[in-house]
Amino acid sequence: MITFTINDQQVTAKKGWTVLETAREYGIEIPTLCHHPAVKPSGACRLCMVELKEKGWSKLVASCIYPVAEGISIYTETPRVHNVRRWILEMLLASCPGSPEISTLAQAHGVVSTRFKIHDPSQTCMICGLCQRICEEVVGLSAIAVVDRGVHKKVGSPFMRPTDVCVACGCCLTVCPTGAMQNIFDTVRGEPKMPLTQLAM
Amino acid sequence: MMTDTKIGVFLCKCGNEIAPLIDLPRLYSTIQPEADYCEILSFPCLQPGLEKIMSAAAANRLNRIIIAGCEGRTMLKKFETALEPVDILKGQIDMVNLHSHVAAVSDKSPLEKAAKAAKLITASIAEMRVLKATEQERARIDGPVVVVGNGISSFPAVQKITEAGIECMLSVPEADPDKIIRNLHLSYPGERTHYDRLKTLIKDTMGSKNLTVFEHSRLTELVGVTGNYTLTFTLQNGQEETVKAGAIIAALDAELSPPGPEFGYDGCSVLIQSEMEEHITRNGTPKGQVVFWISDYEYGTPEHATLSAKSAWTMAMHMKACSPETNVMIFHNEKMAIPLTGAERAVNRKAQIAWIPYDNAVRPSVQDGYVTFCNLRDHVEHELAWDFLVLSPKRGISGEAKTTAKILGLVHRETPFLTGHHAKVRPEMIGREETYLAGSARYPCDLQEALNQGRKAGIRNVEMIEKSQAAQLLVPRIVCVVDPDKCVACGQCQELCDCGGIGIEMLSGGLPRVVDPMLCTGGGTCAAACPYGALVLQNNSTDQKEARIAALSRLMEPDEVVAMACVWGGLPAADNAHRRKMSYDPRTHILGIPCVGQIDPAVMARAFLEGAPGLLLIGCLPEECHHSYGIDHAWNRVNLIKKLFDLCGFDRRRIAIAHADMNKPEEFVKTVDAFNALIAALGPIPKTQANLDNLASIYQLCKYNTRIRTLLSVALRRPWEKTYRGDQRHALEFDRDFTAAIEEEFDFAESALNEPAFYRYA
Repeated sequence: MITFTINDQQVTAKKGWTVLETAREYGIEIPTLCHHPAVKPSGACRLCMVELKEKGWSKLVASCIYPVAEGISIYTETPRVHNVRRWILEMLLASCPGSPEISTLAQAHGVVSTRFKIHDPSQTCMICGLCQRICEEVVGLSAIAVVDRGVHKKVGSPFMRPTDVCVACGCCLTVCPTGAMQNIFDTVRGEPKMPLTQLAM
Repeated sequence: MMTDTKIGVFLCKCGNEIAPLIDLPRLYSTIQPEADYCEILSFPCLQPGLEKIMSAAAANRLNRIIIAGCEGRTMLKKFETALEPVDILKGQIDMVNLHSHVAAVSDKSPLEKAAKAAKLITASIAEMRVLKATEQERARIDGPVVVVGNGISSFPAVQKITEAGIECMLSVPEADPDKIIRNLHLSYPGERTHYDRLKTLIKDTMGSKNLTVFEHSRLTELVGVTGNYTLTFTLQNGQEETVKAGAIIAALDAELSPPGPEFGYDGCSVLIQSEMEEHITRNGTPKGQVVFWISDYEYGTPEHATLSAKSAWTMAMHMKACSPETNVMIFHNEKMAIPLTGAERAVNRKAQIAWIPYDNAVRPSVQDGYVTFCNLRDHVEHELAWDFLVLSPKRGISGEAKTTAKILGLVHRETPFLTGHHAKVRPEMIGREETYLAGSARYPCDLQEALNQGRKAGIRNVEMIEKSQAAQLLVPRIVCVVDPDKCVACGQCQELCDCGGIGIEMLSGGLPRVVDPMLCTGGGTCAAACPYGALVLQNNSTDQKEARIAALSRLMEPDEVVAMACVWGGLPAADNAHRRKMSYDPRTHILGIPCVGQIDPAVMARAFLEGAPGLLLIGCLPEECHHSYGIDHAWNRVNLIKKLFDLCGFDRRRIAIAHADMNKPEEFVKTVDAFNALIAALGPIPKTQANLDNLASIYQLCKYNTRIRTLLSVALRRPWEKTYRGDQRHALEFDRDFTAAIEEEFDFAESALNEPAFYRYA
């Protein structure tokens, strides 16, 4: 048993648990985006940052991948945490301005506009790679991946063409935290042979 | 290991997603008396929650777990992996999606939502109670591996297998490497540069000590299942030879054939690429003007153009090198991109091989000595002179290769090429990991690619056999099994099954079918179609689904609807409707099922017998069943129920089948809302004695009447669908005959209602 505190509340955890898991077990909310219980955490989006105080030092850690340790003090709602959260949301607003999920989340944290340059106003993907992880770990395939490097990085199937590897199970679609997969999905599984006709409303 | 069933239900709070929306304490008090154990957890999916489930399972000796939280499509695997060490296996864990199907659907009160959740969980408990869980089996696949099909990819496959020290058998028409190479251009034209290395590979392979070669033999029969195949070869002298094998690799090459007369094909001056190469081999490089026409666009197969262009170019280069006075040019559709790399383009310029594009809009016509085409630059029809016009070959699988493929059960669809699996399912659902098909019969490819495929097939087989020897090769838990006592060997299941999982074990004596558990994808269309109930989808049987739908239907209010949603279409559409914050009619009670095709007509009838006012089946998109045309078979079954309803005076519209696209949840919402409105307008089926008797007869007929069940399973698909063309009849005629049969049997069923045993088969 490992004993430590979250927001000055004493909690107990077992070896191998993460700070986020322990917090959630005790009903303490930490916002996340790229975390999904079905797959291993990757710490991509950094939204789950919390402040860790240990021996007089303080640092920010990503709670979804930070393992619990004896005697640490975790704070989830300090000004420093709020500050970094808002910065992350502001950056996300610039990188995926087209995502209603992101704007709702940002609004909930008081972020309504961004100071960063918006390159593509329709972009919805934040390239957290959750779709890739779920395809690999849960479905057991690699139909989708994060391709290219640096500023050209994007999510898709090889050569951005429909792939036979994809079995169209829709796991990526369900877990996508920003709703970006809706637009990418048909380029991965291929357009349906007999699509449903949508009536104009 | 058979002990009492002990069911543990774990209700998930899911932070703010479920707890504030559903009255969990109320739900707990409803469920707790029905289950053997019940607990509310904050997050069962996270490590602390998982540990609590495991300790509760150990303390209460639970062997069935129901987690009521979110979607099983993504989460179930985590629970299965975590609970495997405590002997709770796949099939023994079920998930009820409170999150998407109850909490987020509507703005009803937490109390009302708790009532809906309780219904869904009760249904799940009922299913778990009748589950007959099997033990985890391990597959045993030893050598030898048999490589058949005469394709060139046999050799790299054999090489990889013999290198690993596994015994291998190879069936080839010709064992002499020189003769094999001599005929190779008939399948792979323009590959001369690889012949030397290939010859070494063939020689090395043929000399391997683990290899047995059958020369001049033809595969004529295949029986058995993965790990235990018996193959019969017919030798040249007419004798038959039988071999036992653990695994099979089919190395098949596509056949190249000439096009129709509109291209002026005559076999001597207008010929296809493989014939040109034969000409070169026999008579040397021709002099004069040689035009390679990449005519794949005109054949309607533009996807093969690049491949043809590449072989044309290699042949052209060879001709230029052998005889500089030959004038070679490549004549191609402007839509085709020239498949040459930068370096190759430089070589091409030096060799002065012209690539002449023509306008796609004007089809070139062949004349004696000329071919006319429309130039892109000036839109004038030009003429290109030729002494030899070399056309692209038409590619397809036929003859010997097709016969072999049919014996191996690889011909699934009416496409010119072969596919390994029709089924589009998760890899864990198919036990066999190896690719057993290599070569250009899969899809047109060049020699390099064919050899690579062979190599890959070899490696995969070796891996599989090594895994099996280490006792790590698991048989999927949800597969069909045949009860040989009930099977009358009608062969319907074999006809329906597209995964090739159903076969016969021996050729003599009675012929009950067997299922190859390593090939079965667990679609269950065959099980639901079996007229005699001899096929059972283990760990996910019809009995289970019947129990589940019965429990749910008993709890239905007069205006509530049971919806069975397929995990590849309806269910993800429902989950995504929640993700996109849509709401739909909360009277819909969704049961997730792996495929609509596995829903037996008896399950549908049972829902109405137990009091459901309406049943909606939501499958995947048309033509996109991930198993074997499940939705089309379900269509016939729904049709049966509708006809029976007509006979009893119930409204036909109470049962319906729908399609859903997971990426269009808004359409899913329309589907369920419209059906709910309809059922609400119709009201329940009045519970008079006459109606109840009718419903009971319908159920009896659907479950036990072998005549009707046989008619259903031979109906295969809808009249207008073409995949089983030979079996389709005049739509109206068929329907009238079917109705007449149903009427006859229904009268019979009504009179025999009091003696259901009469209907039961032995």
